[in-house]
Amino acid sequence: MARSSTAKDAQALIQSLRSAYAATPTNLKIIDLYIIFAVSTALIQVVYMALVGSFPFNSFLSGVLSCVGTAVLAVCLRIQVNKENKEFKDLPPERAFADFVLCNLVLHLVIMNFLG
Amino acid sequence: MRNLKLFQLSLIFFSSIPLLPILTLAFSAENPTDRRILVLLDDVSLKSSHSIFFSSLQSRGFDLDFKLADDPKLTLQRYGQYLYDGLILFAPTTERFGGSLDLAAVLSFVDSGHDVIVAADSNASDLIRNIAAECGADFDEDPSAVVIDHTSYAVSDTEGDHTLIVSDELIQSDVILGKEKIEAPILFKGIGHSLNPENNLVLKVLSASSTAYSANPNSKLSTPPSLSGSAISLVSVLQARNNARVLISGSLELFSNRLLRAGVQRAGHSKKFDKSGNERFVVEVSKWVFHERGHLKAVNVRHHKVGESDEPAIYRINDDLEYFVEIYEWSGTQWEPYVANDVQVQFYMMSPYVLKTLSTNEKGLYHTSFKVPDVYGVFQFKIEYQRLGYTSLSLSKQIPVRPFRHNEYERFITTAFPYYGASFSTMLGFFIFSIVYLYSK
Repeated sequence: MARSSTAKDAQALIQSLRSAYAATPTNLKIIDLYIIFAVSTALIQVVYMALVGSFPFNSFLSGVLSCVGTAVLAVCLRIQVNKENKEFKDLPPERAFADFVLCNLVLHLVIMNFLG
Repeated sequence: MRNLKLFQLSLIFFSSIPLLPILTLAFSAENPTDRRILVLLDDVSLKSSHSIFFSSLQSRGFDLDFKLADDPKLTLQRYGQYLYDGLILFAPTTERFGGSLDLAAVLSFVDSGHDVIVAADSNASDLIRNIAAECGADFDEDPSAVVIDHTSYAVSDTEGDHTLIVSDELIQSDVILGKEKIEAPILFKGIGHSLNPENNLVLKVLSASSTAYSANPNSKLSTPPSLSGSAISLVSVLQARNNARVLISGSLELFSNRLLRAGVQRAGHSKKFDKSGNERFVVEVSKWVFHERGHLKAVNVRHHKVGESDEPAIYRINDDLEYFVEIYEWSGTQWEPYVANDVQVQFYMMSPYVLKTLSTNEKGLYHTSFKVPDVYGVFQFKIEYQRLGYTSLSLSKQIPVRPFRHNEYERFITTAFPYYGASFSTMLGFFIFSIVYLYSK
């Protein structure tokens, strides 16, 4: 009885989360998808490293850090372009995206140097 | 008149040219056997009473210069050059040498790599005792004490006082005593000494049996003897760090014709030897002391990478290298290959990173190969070879080891392909994301 009520609660929770998320603007949803992609790539690499060992450790680090760095930058972009976030209401979204692109260029420059 | 003088001078000069080869026969690294030996006697009669020993030296090519120990013109060096390569001190009772020779001169003679044979006897002078003490052998302080052995003495017609003792307790060393074992026991009549325990270069060559002791044979023994048993050394040798060799004997008679020719029968044994082991012993030991045996040299140290033949100025970490060295032993007349299986080379930086035993081709060439450790810095190839009776070999050759250059690392490792893929897919993802983000309105 208690079990089914817990399941029902969880169901209700997910339901409400989904309906709440449905109200999120599309551009934020795209960012979320991008973050999920980056984090899952990082996780796959960690599992791979656990299987084959850490031999080209610099390659492993650059592979994982490129994903983690991308995810962090995407989160920052999401915070800045969110309309409901009043902290950045003076910052135009175009400016936020330009920052995001610049940071990504720097990140990938470093990653390429560290990869070999 | 002037022309005549010039002529005389040139005559002297040209007539001395044939002498040059004789002068160059002297002790050198290439020809380590001593050639000119000063023999100091305290009595001219020793020259005939010890003639067998001296003629054995002369027949081996040594040039003996006999002098009385109190000769006022005695000197070991002139104009900073040593006149002799070896010194035999058969002057046990001499209190002061003549001329410029003294304790300090003898010691600096040894310090400059020359060899000395010192024989003491009962009533040995302080001078001889001091020379021995400087070499790590302390003679019994009682001047009237001699070594007595009531069990292991030489049987003679008269009962005697058992001071002519018999010993066969020799050091186990083929290089000092020769390959052939000395069968007959050795006769000894003289004083005993103990070795200074702080001196680890001095070795007992002939020691007394466990029943021997050192005391005055003419007086009753009231206190325990200061030296007894096999702690008594009868004959000792010292090889200094500069490979100078010193023989210290407590008996001058050990070298005498009388004991060299004497038959020997040990008390309590029925076997009688026609001839004592003394002659073999003194000849073999003198060969060692005068560097006719046990003198090593190492030449032609080479090293290179496996598969190459040129010696590099620097190695890289993890290189495979080969190391060669040639070791020869002086046989008295020529250099012969030295064969041993315990020569080791160290690849050394503060501590040995690699320690390898060298293999030999039995013709003097030693060889090994090893991998340079995964550590960079300034290393040395080191050989520290110290074996009983042999001169010590100490070689070191410096060689730097560098890390990989940045373009010497492995590229495009198969294991790392997923990481490369992840990095590029993230870049591609960034590109696609940018387009999608910009055009989704």
